[in-house]
Amino acid sequence: MTGRGLVARTTLAALAVLAAPSAPASAHHVGAYVPKDNAVTTNFKQVKFSVQAKKYDVALRLFDAGPLRAEMRAHAATLPPGLEDGTRAALAAGDGPEVERTLMIFFAALARDLALEADRQLARPDATADARAATGRKFLEAIWRYYNLVDFAVAMRDNKSSVAVRLAFDEAESYVKPAAGGAAPADPAGIRQPLQRIAQVLSNLIDSSSPTPRRNS
Amino acid sequence: MTEADSPTWRVPPRWVLLVAVLSIVAAEVGGGAMARFKVELTRWARDAMLARPSVHGLVGVRDVDERILDEALVKFDAGLRLFHMHAEGMGLVIIATSMVAATVIRSAAARRTIIALLTAGGAGYPVGYLVWSALIPSCGLERAKTLAEWLVWVPFGSATIVALWCLAGTVAWSMMARRRT
Repeated sequence: MTGRGLVARTTLAALAVLAAPSAPASAHHVGAYVPKDNAVTTNFKQVKFSVQAKKYDVALRLFDAGPLRAEMRAHAATLPPGLEDGTRAALAAGDGPEVERTLMIFFAALARDLALEADRQLARPDATADARAATGRKFLEAIWRYYNLVDFAVAMRDNKSSVAVRLAFDEAESYVKPAAGGAAPADPAGIRQPLQRIAQVLSNLIDSSSPTPRRNS
Repeated sequence: MTEADSPTWRVPPRWVLLVAVLSIVAAEVGGGAMARFKVELTRWARDAMLARPSVHGLVGVRDVDERILDEALVKFDAGLRLFHMHAEGMGLVIIATSMVAATVIRSAAARRTIIALLTAGGAGYPVGYLVWSALIPSCGLERAKTLAEWLVWVPFGSATIVALWCLAGTVAWSMMARRRT
């Protein structure tokens, strides 16, 4: 093969590679987004892994200085009384199962509050079906991010509640999934019922898992 | 290899080289500015998004909104990075392909058309990422992408692809013609 022939073949191959689009013209490469942990879930994982490794002093330090404790304080009004002190005491005493129980209650409460807020926002009569579906999807994602962290602990203590939450979650998702062809879901308002069920099941779980305050009579 | 066999490459027109070099310079300046002003850019984009809650579907609940803002900021940053990468790469593609076109295409009209398409498409396509990134805070993720797609990516990307296929066809045709003689 002559030098000119070799260059021509190489050039042709390079041009063919350049000209061959690897995807349809509309699918331009715009990167992918992978949701990250927020400060609270990151701190929860740090505390959880320290407890699992029986490094209670590390777990206590992470809890004391981290956003998990700050968030417990911020939500104190909707949490069982003494949850923050209870978590701290359990960490100081090296009581792993008790730490797991208090954190389970905390994240169940966060998920319940989100379900209640979602229900409130979706009840607005002025929202379109598209807006309701989008709002519903965003809330479901936030609820699952928190509930998913403690589902195993919930299932170990109260399997029925765990199954009930997951079934209600699946049902809620079916109401906000886009219809065939990317059209808006037919009845996004239907999501309110499973959301109310999630809130109710989690409220019951929180009540049954929290110690009853002692009476001094 | 004899003197007659060795290929004689022709330099593309000066304006083509200028556009390609400017594209690479813009990529370098963009990359440097992106790193130098990362905090300021992120703050500006975040403030602009918070000023338009309905555009971004913010619901007023931190646990939900932070995730939406985070995704938009990641894509905003990705747009700037992709502009840097594509402008750098397409500058080199313009030089290489226009040099091939200047060398192998005999017809002056066809040569001028293909070189113009390669240069305009190659220099314009990366700007789409800059447009996408700049529009995200004010228009939202999907609307910004649609605008960038129809205003920049589709016309300029198509120009490049059409020109490259024409060029590939011309090279193949000249190879076959040489084999027949």
